[in-house]
Amino acid sequence: MTDIKMANRSGPARLAARLGRINRIIAILAGIALLATVALILLEIVLRQTAIGSIGGSDEISGYVMAGVATWGFAYALTERAHVRIDILQSRLPLPGKGLFDLLALASVFAIALTVSIHAWDVLGKTLARDSHANTPLATPLWIPQSIWFGGWVWLAIVAVLLLACITVLIAEREWESVRAIAGGGTETGEL
Amino acid sequence: MIWSVSFGLLALLALSLPVGVVLFLLGIGIDTFYSPFPLIRGLGQIVYSSSDSFLLIAIPFFVLLGEILVRAGIAERTYKSLDAWFSWLPGGLVHANIGTATLFSATSGSSVATAATVATVAMPQADRLGYDPRLFAGAVAAGGTLGILIPPSINLIVYGFLTETSVPRLFLAGLVPGLLMAVGFMAVTALICAKRPHLGGPSRSFTWRERMSGLRHLIPIGLLFGVVVGSIYRGWATPTEAAAIGVAMALVIAAFYQSVSFSMITEALLGTVKSTAMIMFVIVGAYFLNYTLAAAGLGRQLTDLLENLGLGAYGTLIVIIFLYIVLGFFIETLSLMIATIPIVVPIISGLGFDKVWFGILMIVLIEMALITPPVGLNLYVVQGARTKGSLTDVMVGVIPYVVVMLLMVVALVLVPDLALFLTNGL
Amino acid sequence: QNLDDTSLSVVGSWSSLPLDKDFERPFWTKTLPADSQGKVSVQMTTFDQMGVKGGDVFRMLSDGVFDVGMTVGDYVVGDAPELEGLDVPLVASDADTEHKVIDAARPMVADIMKKRFGAKLLAIVPYPPQVVFCNADVKSLRDLKGKKVRASGRMAAILLEKLGAEGITMSFSEVPGALERGVIDCAVTGAGSGYSAGWWESSTHLLTLPLGGWDPVITAMNQDKWNGLSPAMQSFLETEIKTKFEDKVWAAAGDALSGDVACLTGRGECKAGKPASMTLVEPTKQDEALAKKVLTEDVLPDWAKRAGGDWAKRWNDSVGKVVGVSVAAP
Ligand code: NA
Ligand code: NA
Repeated sequence: MTDIKMANRSGPARLAARLGRINRIIAILAGIALLATVALILLEIVLRQTAIGSIGGSDEISGYVMAGVATWGFAYALTERAHVRIDILQSRLPLPGKGLFDLLALASVFAIALTVSIHAWDVLGKTLARDSHANTPLATPLWIPQSIWFGGWVWLAIVAVLLLACITVLIAEREWESVRAIAGGGTETGEL
Repeated sequence: MIWSVSFGLLALLALSLPVGVVLFLLGIGIDTFYSPFPLIRGLGQIVYSSSDSFLLIAIPFFVLLGEILVRAGIAERTYKSLDAWFSWLPGGLVHANIGTATLFSATSGSSVATAATVATVAMPQADRLGYDPRLFAGAVAAGGTLGILIPPSINLIVYGFLTETSVPRLFLAGLVPGLLMAVGFMAVTALICAKRPHLGGPSRSFTWRERMSGLRHLIPIGLLFGVVVGSIYRGWATPTEAAAIGVAMALVIAAFYQSVSFSMITEALLGTVKSTAMIMFVIVGAYFLNYTLAAAGLGRQLTDLLENLGLGAYGTLIVIIFLYIVLGFFIETLSLMIATIPIVVPIISGLGFDKVWFGILMIVLIEMALITPPVGLNLYVVQGARTKGSLTDVMVGVIPYVVVMLLMVVALVLVPDLALFLTNGL
Repeated sequence: QNLDDTSLSVVGSWSSLPLDKDFERPFWTKTLPADSQGKVSVQMTTFDQMGVKGGDVFRMLSDGVFDVGMTVGDYVVGDAPELEGLDVPLVASDADTEHKVIDAARPMVADIMKKRFGAKLLAIVPYPPQVVFCNADVKSLRDLKGKKVRASGRMAAILLEKLGAEGITMSFSEVPGALERGVIDCAVTGAGSGYSAGWWESSTHLLTLPLGGWDPVITAMNQDKWNGLSPAMQSFLETEIKTKFEDKVWAAAGDALSGDVACLTGRGECKAGKPASMTLVEPTKQDEALAKKVLTEDVLPDWAKRAGGDWAKRWNDSVGKVVGVSVAAP
């Protein structure tokens, strides 16, 4: 984020930086959920070894946590520019060309996030309509994990479209460095 | 269909769209052009089911384990002490890359996590010491793939799950081939660097005293291996649960080195969520693509191909190996396994081959897929840890190691006992 | 016959199990097209090959993703708890009884498939019964008390709890190691699967009580697709499925069970390979009485509450009559 500060303090850059900070907080919460799952699994293992007996369901809950952590992490990976992109062609272009590729990439993330969100709503909607529960001893109401998962995809779509707006403005202003700082590939590979 | 998918893949990747997005787009393309049925209506269900997975949570656990080891300085100490033992060989520090990857493979069930851990520690050294960046990065990417051959291994758990094969037995079977392959990696490195000394860095020598005193830095890794794998064989934990034990043990070790702090944990968690999201975005996209391919009849085409060739047992086996090498270029590894195992393993088993043995053979082929472009997660991970240079460096650098993997495949076919002799006593 | 040209996309059940290999696949891809003189063309895969979870098959069927879908009824009870009544554990200990149970349940299942998934029920066939493998000296149902048992599903969980056993969930491939090392004492699966996966290497006693039920596999067609077929095609399909698929699976079911038990215990002829030598524990009168008691007092009332409506009554009037068990309405 430091390069954004140096390059530009305009509105779009500030918005991008703020989205980055929000996603950082979300990612920490997701990480804490992971640690809690580690603790739950350890508890399950210990109880199974002792006479107390197992609590059960740690495998089921782990699955829900996995879906939540991964999905809410997508937007964090986006603001951290960590999603895998192959820049063999892009790295040979001049700065404006790179910027347009970044715009295209971000637009494609938004399109997919929106598409998945719409279909994710179908899944959650069916679960709500049928009041579906997992066929396990916990009988978890499935709307709980599926809402968290659905929310993650919607959040990705929101973050992607806001970033898209940011870099569209920056491109119009010919602020190519800032475009790269917000939406470029994670590693600057330079010219070969 | 295969040709248009391959072409579409290359074209979209060249536009530098995120790989996960490319896989989704291809899936939507197959649905639109090759399937008379509205596959897209299943999109939500597939995406949810592929992420709600008890097996996959082992991925963030192993990534977190690696993050903790890096941030507690354990990874670096391990690397340095292996450097002292191996840097006299032609190729110097490159051997430490492979050695460290091998050791971390014994604590991590994920190749991507292993490569990420080693890359974080190793990649900064390449420039400083003047190594050829291609060979250096290639060794990390290839060494990292051992993570799924040397136990524990997420991919072997998946194989065992899909083929109803005992996971502890698969783990045991992977051990010797894994170590052999590590030796093979080192041998090919030494060979290349003996012929072309400028590819390796400066030759450095360490005293025996330095070497011996460095050994204590290997204790944490040994301890982790003992606890993770031991907990499985003692019957305390299932292979997936063992990943959680590994995380807890890594925290205990980090605390012993007095490097646990609030900011250290925060950074480790952030790194874990970032890597997990990056990996899962590709995996979720791959599941959707796989679903459309299967629905559009890829499975039937494969089955017909294999059954109608009329080759003998070994002829069919060679075709299957060839198929995995080709598909491995384009398809992400977990979804490749899920798509093909239900088709291939019954055929293999019907031909009289051992399922445990084939599991190990398949893992070697899957390791190859992890480092062959354009879809090779380990290439991306290593590139992600570099500060400059292009992905092409890594792609070129892994070539010698791909050759070793091919030799390993041949060796496993000729001498099945390489995988099986440890399990026969079981 | 005046059949229209019809193309069907079909999704079968687990591709690794004999039901798909020996019955579903030959029927849909060979028998049906041939008998229709090529009027019916079929494109077939299985849910596991597609990477689709068994529990999502009918959700996707109702969306029209494919035309015909097959999956284990127990997998979809999350969306339709009343469907659990199709596979109550311990009520049928042989294939003939199970056949009667399923025939009795068929009208209920047809209603459930229509209401919940917008689907037309085509067939119900059993997997082999889900029996109990123990690495412990277990002589009767009562001996499960204090044991750690791997089972899935809510009915099995309640059943085990009431028997004083501890229900453990773990994936199939982790079972042999877990049995061997005493993580668990017993595990439930089909006799055939247990034989081919080598569970007999790590267990000693085989209880042929169907503690996990029979995992009946339901075949259904998207209702819109069904309604769009001509009456001639509809009746052709129904007859074909009944005589060339369903009846054949049932005819093989009894032999399959005795063959699998022979392979596991070494009593009788084993065609699948080298027989193992597990101790056979057959259900006694006391076991049946105990099972009936736990079902009536705990398992079925819990189900009746979750299913709601008049399902308990409908169950009593159909399946309950066949097996002589009845549940109090909630
Ligand atoms: Na490993
Ligand atoms: Na590849």
